[in-house]
Amino acid sequence: MATAATAATAEELELAGGTVVREQVSLWVDSWRRFRRNRLALIAAAYLVLLMVDAIVTIFWTPYNMSSVGLLQPYDGPTLAHPLGADSLGRDLLSRLMLGAQVSLIVGLGTQVLVISVGVVVGLVAGYFRGILDTVITLILNVFYGIPDLLVALILLTILGTRGLFPIIFAIAVTRWMDMARLVRGQALSIREREFVEAARASGARPHRILFGHILPNALGPIIVQATFGIPTAILFEAFLSFLGVGVAPPTPSWGSMASEGVQAIRLAPHIVLAPSLALMVTLLAFNFLGDGLRDAFDPRQKR
Amino acid sequence: MLTRGTLAYIGQRLVLIAFTVVAVSSLVFIGIHQLPGNAFISERVRGDRLELVLHEYGLDRPLLEQYQEWATNAFLHGDLGQSFVNRGLDITPLVLRELTVSAEVGGTALLITIGLGMLLGVVAAIKQNTWIDYLLTTTSVIGYSMPSFVLASFLLLFFAVFLASATGGAFYYPLHWSGTYGDPIQLSIPAFALGFPYASIVARLTRASMLEVIRQDYIRTARAKGLRERVVIIRHGLRNALIPVTTILGPLVIGIITGSVVIESIFTIPGLGKEFVGSILRHDYNITIGVFTMYALMVGVANLVVDISYTAIDPRIRY
Repeated sequence: MATAATAATAEELELAGGTVVREQVSLWVDSWRRFRRNRLALIAAAYLVLLMVDAIVTIFWTPYNMSSVGLLQPYDGPTLAHPLGADSLGRDLLSRLMLGAQVSLIVGLGTQVLVISVGVVVGLVAGYFRGILDTVITLILNVFYGIPDLLVALILLTILGTRGLFPIIFAIAVTRWMDMARLVRGQALSIREREFVEAARASGARPHRILFGHILPNALGPIIVQATFGIPTAILFEAFLSFLGVGVAPPTPSWGSMASEGVQAIRLAPHIVLAPSLALMVTLLAFNFLGDGLRDAFDPRQKR
Repeated sequence: MLTRGTLAYIGQRLVLIAFTVVAVSSLVFIGIHQLPGNAFISERVRGDRLELVLHEYGLDRPLLEQYQEWATNAFLHGDLGQSFVNRGLDITPLVLRELTVSAEVGGTALLITIGLGMLLGVVAAIKQNTWIDYLLTTTSVIGYSMPSFVLASFLLLFFAVFLASATGGAFYYPLHWSGTYGDPIQLSIPAFALGFPYASIVARLTRASMLEVIRQDYIRTARAKGLRERVVIIRHGLRNALIPVTTILGPLVIGIITGSVVIESIFTIPGLGKEFVGSILRHDYNITIGVFTMYALMVGVANLVVDISYTAIDPRIRY
């Protein structure tokens, strides 16, 4: 719609006798312009920036000490000094909620770093070289798609034993890297047939140069979109693991483990389960809206 | 429908399933036996008695020998061994009993997912760009952004806490599952919490593919023939709109199976999922291995059933 409207005005200008110089814009500028028009995605992005600020601020400062037990009476309701009340051990819930963003963001972003680095390489290699390599990689992908991800992550965490953040990120990435690999493989399959790749090959470029210098930059848009959608999935995953009691070790607060504590006392003090649940929901919504916005911005043809 | 090609395909898939189950179970078996300590340390069994117990469970033998025996018992005799914690408790009957409970909840959740998801998707597509459409689309975005345990907590809050106190205890939903089979209310709430996120995804897909289908010429032809709108939408529209939706049936079934792990823990439903988490936390690893093997088998068979059902929905697909 929008492009049709601009074309019409340009035509009108030409008819009016003026000269039209079409502005040259890069893909990124063009995408940003389309993204800017999506109000929902902008609000989501603003919320996520706030969340990141919160995560950084809480490294240095929280309203109260997140692990001081008995600061309040256990299960206390919200008051002015403690807007979200107390948890089951009498700790300040707001401080813990603010800190919980750290775990979610680190897990979400960390997982995607791992997923991108594995998925991009595997996908590029499979899509570009094809043949037996592609067959083997596709088979491995299908085997991974067939396993129940949450259960495998649970077992992996048990076997890894420690309960730090890295094992969690690792366990999630192991069970969630396939979407990225499949996407990049598809992109590589289609981009490798384009003329500029042929030109690069003809001028004697080495495979790694073609892969990372020519194919990868042209697949960046979909990769970014896929990674944006991968972040909420990973956050959700961590919340599930923490909810089940195999995630982040206490006393570090994670929204999943906070919700799990809250469910135990749901009749007595519903605010304990409501606060982390809402935080989790809003954050996941925000990432999904951001992903929708980015997808429409990078590839307007896909717009639904 | 069952041509020779299909039968050969099913055979191939069964071999692949068997291979996956054996491979996965051996990896888990070996991985879990690498863990330091064992379930008996907590019982303060020491010295000779500890060795006796270890010997009784065969834990003092080489790992490969242990796996070989476990695999022979499990795959040839269907015997998954005994629990470490409740000594002498056979795992196979326990797991089978829990499987029926899980299947009940999961089956209901699957019905809700497909039924509700398709209904919402079709309605949103027919009423495109009206407030009904916007409401349904927004609901479905919220639906799949909401972790199932969050939805479960909200439902518990509403039914077990709010409604109970609002009606002065006249309406009572138990916070804990009492294990009665087939109590529809008790069953439907966990099933709804389990199925709704996936129903949202189904609704979104159905809406998108329905919108595409109802612009096709054959729909206009059907209308021009004077068919009633209901017949046009259901028989001509929905049937074709279903084809893209079937592609996510596989992940959906896996999602419901894994999602039940969390839902069963919240509603304290004595199913396979609760047992799985509990066994990990209790270090009752024989049960962990047994239940996981069952899960691997179930997921494999579920995927196969889904793939075969494609041929029923879309006759153009042949194997």
